[in-house]
Amino acid sequence: MEVNIEGEDEFANKSYEKICQDAFRNIGVRTSIDHTYLYCNPMEHVFIISVKIGRVSSPVKVGDMTQRGKDKLKITDEKYAPRLLAMLWDKYGKRVQQVSRLEIGLKLEEEEIEALRDLIVYDPRDDLIPRILDGIDRILPEGARVRSTIPSTSRITIIASENPIEEDWKKKAEEMVSVVSEHV
Amino acid sequence: MYKIMMFEGGVYKYTELKELIEDIGGLILQESIMQTETMLHLAFPGEEEREIRNKVKELGGKLHDLPLAGTEIMIVVPSLGKHHSVNPLCDIAEFLRRKGAITNVMGLARGVGKRIAQMTAQEKEIIEECDAAVFVFGDFKECIEEKVKLCEIIEIPYMVVGGPPDLELEHYVGGIGRKTDRMRRKGEIDKLEEMTVELGEILAEKMMEMEEDPLAASPLFIKEMIEMIMPPKAGEELPLVIHLDGLRVKIGEEDEERIMDIEVGEKKLSEICEMKKSLYEGYLLKILPEAVSGGVF
Repeated sequence: MEVNIEGEDEFANKSYEKICQDAFRNIGVRTSIDHTYLYCNPMEHVFIISVKIGRVSSPVKVGDMTQRGKDKLKITDEKYAPRLLAMLWDKYGKRVQQVSRLEIGLKLEEEEIEALRDLIVYDPRDDLIPRILDGIDRILPEGARVRSTIPSTSRITIIASENPIEEDWKKKAEEMVSVVSEHV
Repeated sequence: MYKIMMFEGGVYKYTELKELIEDIGGLILQESIMQTETMLHLAFPGEEEREIRNKVKELGGKLHDLPLAGTEIMIVVPSLGKHHSVNPLCDIAEFLRRKGAITNVMGLARGVGKRIAQMTAQEKEIIEECDAAVFVFGDFKECIEEKVKLCEIIEIPYMVVGGPPDLELEHYVGGIGRKTDRMRRKGEIDKLEEMTVELGEILAEKMMEMEEDPLAASPLFIKEMIEMIMPPKAGEELPLVIHLDGLRVKIGEEDEERIMDIEVGEKKLSEICEMKKSLYEGYLLKILPEAVSGGVF
C-alpha cells in the first residue's frame, strides 16, 4: 500500500503516514488497498482521505482451513474456526460436533463431506468496506466528526471536519482526488 | 526532608534493611515480595543515604532513585478512544510509575477537536486533586496551540506533551504525538526520560514553594500514623496515596470520623488537616501549614 500525505507540518505528515500504514494493517485490509491519500489542513480543520481499493484476496473455503480425517475435520487455521462451526451447525445441526479444540466430528455421508469442503467460510469481500471505514475512522482526527463522502466506484473518499463542510471544500476535494487518481 | 528510593534485590537478610530504615527514622512506603525478588520503596532522611547504600551493597541489591516518588500525577488525554490510548497514554503512565509516581489516566468527555474541545468544571476539579497533570495531545501544531488554553485554567502545575518538536510553549515536550505501537525504541525512551525531567522540575518548583511555608507534618508520617490505627485490608492496593501536601485515603463513609480522630504527635488529624470527599476516589486530606495549625510536637 502506497501512502501520500499532503500537509504543511513535516512531523505530522510523517506521523500520519505511519498511522495510515499501521491502522490498515491492524484491521487486516492493508493488502487490499492500493493507495491512500490524506490531506491535512489543521488550520481550517479539514481532512480529506481517499482510499483506492485494490485486489481482494480470494474466499476461504472449508478445504483451505481444515484437513480431512476419518469422520472428522482438523482445523489448521483457528482464526476461522468460529465462523466454520457456526456455519456447520447451521447447516447440519447436531450431526456436527466439536470434539476438541481443533477437531470437528462429522456424522455425514461421504458425498456430503466432499461437498462440504467447497463451502465458503469467509469471503473478505463481504466486510471489506466496513473494515476500511473502521480504519479511516481510526486515522482521521477524532474531533473531525462532520463527514461528507464523495461517490466513486473504485475509491472511498471522505471529507472530515469539526465544522460544517462547505461546498467549496467538496469541489476542492473532488479536484484533488481526480488529480491523485490520474497519478496512481 | 525525606528522600525516597527504591530497593531491588533478593530476600536474603532484607529484613535487616527494614530494621535499619526504622532505626534511622525512615519509613517503608511500598513492599512487594515476588518469590525471591524484593522491591521496597524507602523513605529516609537524606543525610542517612550513605548508611543505606552501604547496607544495600552488603545485601547485594540495587538502589534506584525515584524522582517522582510521593506524588500523584493525572495523565489527561482528549478522549479514551483508539487515537490516544493505549499508546502513547499507557506508555507515559507506566514510565512515570517506574519513576515512583502514582498515576491516574483520564479521558475528557469533550476534549477532542480544535474549536470544539472543552473541559468541564468537574473534570477540572478531578485533575486538581492530583499534584500535577500531564496533558497528552496529538500531532498538529495549530490544535495544540488552541488546546493549551484549556490547560491554562488548571490551578496545579502541568505539562503538555505533543507531536511537533519545536513548539514554544511553557513546560512542553514534543516528539511524542500520536502513536500506533508501544514506545520501546531508544529515541522514544529518551523522549519519555526528557518528559520525566521536565515534570520533575515542575514538581521541584512546587516543593520549593512548600518549603517556605512547611506543613504541620509530613504526609509520610501521617500515612504511618493512619496505618497503625487502620492497617490495610488484605488484598487492598494502595489504600493511602501520598501527595506532596496531603494524602488520598481510600476509606468508606463509616470510617470518616474514625480517621479524623487519629493522633499525630500531640494533635488530632482533624486539627492539622482539612478533609473533603474526592470526586474520584476516597477522601482527600490536605495538610495545613505549620503556621496555621501549629506544630504537632
